[in-house]
Amino acid sequence: MAVCVAVIAKENYPLYIRSIPTENELKFHYMVHTSLDVVDEKISAMGKALVDQRELYLGLLYPTEDYKVYGYVTNSKVKFVMVVDSSNTALRDNEIRSMFRKLHNSYTDVMCNPFYNPGDHIQSRAFDSMVTSMMIQVC
Amino acid sequence: MPASDHEFLNHYLACMLVASSSEAEPVEQFSKLSQEQHRIQHNSDYSYPKWFIPNTLKYYVLLHDVSAGDEQRAESIYEEMKQKYGTQGCYLLKINSRTSNRASDEQIPDPWSQYLQKNSIQNQESYEDGPCTITSNKSSDSNLLSLDGLDNEVKDGLPNNFRAHPLQLDSSSDPSNSIDGPDHVKSASSLHETKKANTGIIHGACLTLTDHDRIRQFIQEFTFRGLLPHIEKTIRQLNDQLISRKGLSRSLFSATKKWFSGSKVPEKSINELKNTSGLLYPPEAPELQIRKMADLCFLVQHYDLAYSCYHTAKKDFLNDQAMLYAAGALEMAAVSAFLQPGAPRPYPAHYMDTAIQTYRDICKNMVLAERCVLLSAEILKSQSKYSEAAALLIRLTSEQNTWKGMDSDLRSALLLEQAAHCFINMKSPMVRKYAFHMILAGHRFSKAGQKKHALRCYCQAMQVYKGKGWSLAEDHINFTIGRQSYTLRQLDNAVSAFRHILINESKQSAAQQGAFLREYLYVYKNVSQLSPDGPLPQLPLPYINSSATRVFFGHDRRPADGEKQAATHVSLDQEYDSESSQQWRELEEQVVAVVNRGVIPSSFHPTQYCLNSYSDNSRFPLAVVEEPVTVEVAFRNPLKVPLLLTDLSLLWKFQPKDSSGKDNEEVKELVTGEPEMIGTEVISEFLINSEESKVARLKLFPHHIGELHILGVVYNLGTIQGCVTVDGIDALPRCHTGKHSLSMSVRGRQDLEIQGPRLNNTKEEKTSIKYGPDRRLDPIITEEMPLLEVFFIHFPTGLLCGEIRKAYVEFVNVSKCPLTGLKVVSKRPEFFTFGGNTAVLTPLSPSASENCSAYKTVVTDSTSVCTALISSASSVDFGIGIGSQPEVIPVPLPDTVLLPGASVQLPMWLRGPDEEGVHEINFLFYYESVKKQPKIRHRILRHTAVICTSRSLNVRATVCRSNSLEDEEGRGGNMLVFVDVENTNTSEAGVKEFHIVQVSSSSKHWKLQKSVNLSENKDAKLASREKGKFCFKAIRCKEKEVATQFSEKYTFADIIFGNEQIISSASPCADFFYRSLSSELKKPQAQPSVHAEKQSIEDAVRLIQKCSEVDLNIVVLWKAYVVEDNKQLILEGQHHVILHTIGKEAFSCPQKQEPPEMELLKFFRPENTTVPLRPSVEQLSNLIKTSLHYPESFNHPFHQKSLCLVPVTLLLSNCSKADVDVIVDLRHKTTSPEALEIHGSFTWLGQTQYKLQLKSQEIHSLQLKACFVHTGVYNLGTPRVFAKLSDQVTVFETSQQNSMPALIIINNV
Repeated sequence: MAVCVAVIAKENYPLYIRSIPTENELKFHYMVHTSLDVVDEKISAMGKALVDQRELYLGLLYPTEDYKVYGYVTNSKVKFVMVVDSSNTALRDNEIRSMFRKLHNSYTDVMCNPFYNPGDHIQSRAFDSMVTSMMIQVC
Repeated sequence: MPASDHEFLNHYLACMLVASSSEAEPVEQFSKLSQEQHRIQHNSDYSYPKWFIPNTLKYYVLLHDVSAGDEQRAESIYEEMKQKYGTQGCYLLKINSRTSNRASDEQIPDPWSQYLQKNSIQNQESYEDGPCTITSNKSSDSNLLSLDGLDNEVKDGLPNNFRAHPLQLDSSSDPSNSIDGPDHVKSASSLHETKKANTGIIHGACLTLTDHDRIRQFIQEFTFRGLLPHIEKTIRQLNDQLISRKGLSRSLFSATKKWFSGSKVPEKSINELKNTSGLLYPPEAPELQIRKMADLCFLVQHYDLAYSCYHTAKKDFLNDQAMLYAAGALEMAAVSAFLQPGAPRPYPAHYMDTAIQTYRDICKNMVLAERCVLLSAEILKSQSKYSEAAALLIRLTSEQNTWKGMDSDLRSALLLEQAAHCFINMKSPMVRKYAFHMILAGHRFSKAGQKKHALRCYCQAMQVYKGKGWSLAEDHINFTIGRQSYTLRQLDNAVSAFRHILINESKQSAAQQGAFLREYLYVYKNVSQLSPDGPLPQLPLPYINSSATRVFFGHDRRPADGEKQAATHVSLDQEYDSESSQQWRELEEQVVAVVNRGVIPSSFHPTQYCLNSYSDNSRFPLAVVEEPVTVEVAFRNPLKVPLLLTDLSLLWKFQPKDSSGKDNEEVKELVTGEPEMIGTEVISEFLINSEESKVARLKLFPHHIGELHILGVVYNLGTIQGCVTVDGIDALPRCHTGKHSLSMSVRGRQDLEIQGPRLNNTKEEKTSIKYGPDRRLDPIITEEMPLLEVFFIHFPTGLLCGEIRKAYVEFVNVSKCPLTGLKVVSKRPEFFTFGGNTAVLTPLSPSASENCSAYKTVVTDSTSVCTALISSASSVDFGIGIGSQPEVIPVPLPDTVLLPGASVQLPMWLRGPDEEGVHEINFLFYYESVKKQPKIRHRILRHTAVICTSRSLNVRATVCRSNSLEDEEGRGGNMLVFVDVENTNTSEAGVKEFHIVQVSSSSKHWKLQKSVNLSENKDAKLASREKGKFCFKAIRCKEKEVATQFSEKYTFADIIFGNEQIISSASPCADFFYRSLSSELKKPQAQPSVHAEKQSIEDAVRLIQKCSEVDLNIVVLWKAYVVEDNKQLILEGQHHVILHTIGKEAFSCPQKQEPPEMELLKFFRPENTTVPLRPSVEQLSNLIKTSLHYPESFNHPFHQKSLCLVPVTLLLSNCSKADVDVIVDLRHKTTSPEALEIHGSFTWLGQTQYKLQLKSQEIHSLQLKACFVHTGVYNLGTPRVFAKLSDQVTVFETSQQNSMPALIIINNV
């Protein structure tokens, strides 16, 4: 049960960002944006040699009082950030990992669409519904 | 920060007593001061200035003003002092060597300048800076400084208001300072100075450089002679005490402590109310001695010793559970460990953490915790452990939310800002964290009312978020910046910040956007009220798609007036179509070429009435005075709230040109507001709904000639009230002006700047990016020109193919200039005609002639039905001259001039095009002014007519030679013309039937003679899908008619089926005939390439071809009866068939061609096979026309004579214009079996082969004899005729056409 899902381009501008409590969207935007620093840090922390066989899943980026922020970076440096409610203890690392994998697959589908311009805001309905399912799931 | 009991860092170590030498009794004064000090230190009334040790060092300073006092006296007093207090305890300081009035001459640097400059700023930031000074080396001097400060104040003569002192560290908490301060010792001269210092900025102007040295020396003296020995002494004492205490073993001591701790606590019950964190020691408690010593060591920068002392003290305090003391010791231990040179031990960060935690959680002393955090953060920062520092800072802020009072906002803001700076200083800068914390800090600042700081923080955060696509965050920041700038009256910034929100495609909700917009308008209003006379501000909304701007010159199209239908011309409603615009351009070029005798002048540019992004805008467009200029501006509202523009009009600049032509006259530039020059149309309200694109058409009416520049649009921007208001946004006071009470609006402008097309011609242009000019908004207003309006009356929309309809055109000159040279040009000249030149023009009024036939008719006698009526006409009369452009048709105006206001109605005949379907026919009317204008030579008017045609008749015709001998003249031969007429109408249009009323021929050489169709149905009717066949006989015209070969004289022959003759050589009929003829001729004809060696052959071929050529044109005139709305209508029409070749079928309408199959692309060039040109067999066979003349039946008495001889005449006529050798072979060919069977029964007698030569068009008759032996029916058509051109050698000898079976019946009598 993600609260906010974001896809961020290599150049760190948002390709897709969606959160469930829409009235507090701004807060999530800030949260996701700030988490990019941690993502950067984690990527640069890994040596160059390790980059090739590195794990895409970055794990918990940082916790706040109410939320946990998880990150995932594709090989093309596209970042997925997911904000999860802290109170939801049912979500283990493995579940988060599989959610990210699903997200990645869906993102790949979007990229395969010949009518999608890489770098544009993602407007795919399939992707949207997938994200929705991830947000509602396990609720 | 007030000095606290658990540490001694802020406690006073020494006291300096200062008296002036001008005092009456300085020595007495000193003793008074000394008593005062003693009183302050030992009296419990004064809680504040805390003293380090009971016997404070006193230092006596005699201050001597050199300019005022007697030096001798000062010296003597000093001597007295030395005796009393010892040389080490007193000092004579001489200052003010310079008189104050001399001060202005010499420039001596202000000694205070480096401290006082930042006066105002530092007052605010002293919170920030204060702690920092403590941390550094200065902290050891902090005591000194405060002493020093007092001292200097006297010298400097600053006012006794201590709070204003720039160097004051803790002004708020030190009321006793003023008591302590020797303000009453102040000399008269320093008072004098005070004023100066108050008013001016220069301090210490009376001090010379030697004075500075003296002061410096004094401080040194004080430090070395007085202070340091004192400190040394104290340390020694303390050390002794500690060593003596060691006698009581520490363990024992602490053990007893434990034992007695229970009893100790109630003693301090009073204190415990204040401090629950642990026990408090009395000021002179032995436990504090070690701490005291540590502090002293720290002060003299003996950090090593200090650390060990602090460490010991910490252990003791912890054992005693004296948490506050322990925390203080921990803190200082960490600091001194950090300050140790060479760093023998690693920095104990956990000491700090524990200290902070203790301060915060156990002691609840936030100020101390804060100090500790700041210290710790600074230390961590200097070790570049930024993330730890940031974490420390943030940890303190988050806790402080609930901490008492309003101060907490400011504190956390500061801490957050520091944290943000930590993030950005990291090895890999965390820019985003920095930005985020900056925003948080800004938020807290604004809560604390520090608007400037808040604005600064947001601006700094903005740098990170700007243009990164995080629009929601960006909008939020921009909005806050706007707000803060507004409250700080930085209106320009506010406007630009709000502008950003509105300009970018925001993802905000509609309500939010509405709020943004209102706020923006409100701020803008304030800005514009501040400077009402300033230039109009540029508004960001709505968007203008400037490249979509279109400019139209001329009046709006007048709507159709009753039955009158105005010419479509050009209007802004038409979409741009490059194909049609190219067509119009070609038409205009054609007509201009005709006007200029075939040459298009180099200065010619196609007239453009509507300029858009596709048109050529590189030249200044020309507009005519008194004719409106319409500018269409494309607005787009990016917001989700509607925008209301009021008083929308164009903004322009006009440069009038004197009509007298004086160019050197001063150029006068006018800007909007002179309606007598240019009238401006104002749109009072223009609403753009949310996210809508809308165009506004704005007009200008130029009244003078000159150069007009359209700069932009000016309008009031407002919104419609009544949208959802968002909380908090409405907090701003709304201002209501009387004018727009409904909504707020601001007046502003937006410029129209159109970028021209990118240039890509030269190499330079290709390698760089350059744009050409776009001048569509800069028209030149020229002098008056005539203006034509064209109306069509009775103009049909639907026609049958070939139908002739009469309509009327009205030409009106609506300008004040006469016009002339009216011409019309169209790609389809066969569609319409104004009548021939020679025809008598009878411009009947259209209503009178409504039911008349379009044709000119003559009632004829019905007896002369079958013979042709002949007339002739020349094509020149109908405007189809040789070499002229048939597309350009001059309009026959009565006087060739149309005067202002005059109108002329002319008849116009239309003929439905031959193909069915929808036809779009473009007319271009061309006209000129009577006066020659240098700028505009001509004007044009466009009209597009749409005609829908439906199928009517399909006419096919063939021509062949007649074999009959009945031709009286016997020359040239006759022809038979077969005309097939088929009704192909599918009767949707209610067409009942077609009547063929007349068939006419038109040719230079031939004419129809009579109809040989002997059917009773004279009135040839054709119902739907019926087909009729007509047969006519055609003969050559009389020689004299033919005589002039090239005089384009056509002979018309009419064969009538009714009782009315339509004069086919008269206006509409012949017009259309000629037009169709010329359009036929226009079709490209394959011209064989001419090679010299083949010249002769080609000549021959041409000759041969010629003899099978015929140029006969058939015109079929018809009437159709149509039922429409229960009324019967008679429609008329005509079809043309052009016959070229004998035996070939010709059609009235072009046959539909099957679209060619997609061919495979060929990748090699087809080999150029030059087949020698040979006339076809068919053509050759037409060289000689043969006919046999014989009796149809022959009676012969076979019983009398067994052989029957029949004379037969073979007529050979040469059809060509050359001599022909003819061979006639009578021998039977016995190749085919069936021929054998038939022909076996008769033989030709006599010569079996003849060789003759026939001259051009010569007819030769051969007398032959046929011999029959039986009765029966025989075919006499066996003679074979070969022909060749006599001057040719061998080629082209071909058997001539086999004449049709010539049957003869031989009867037996």
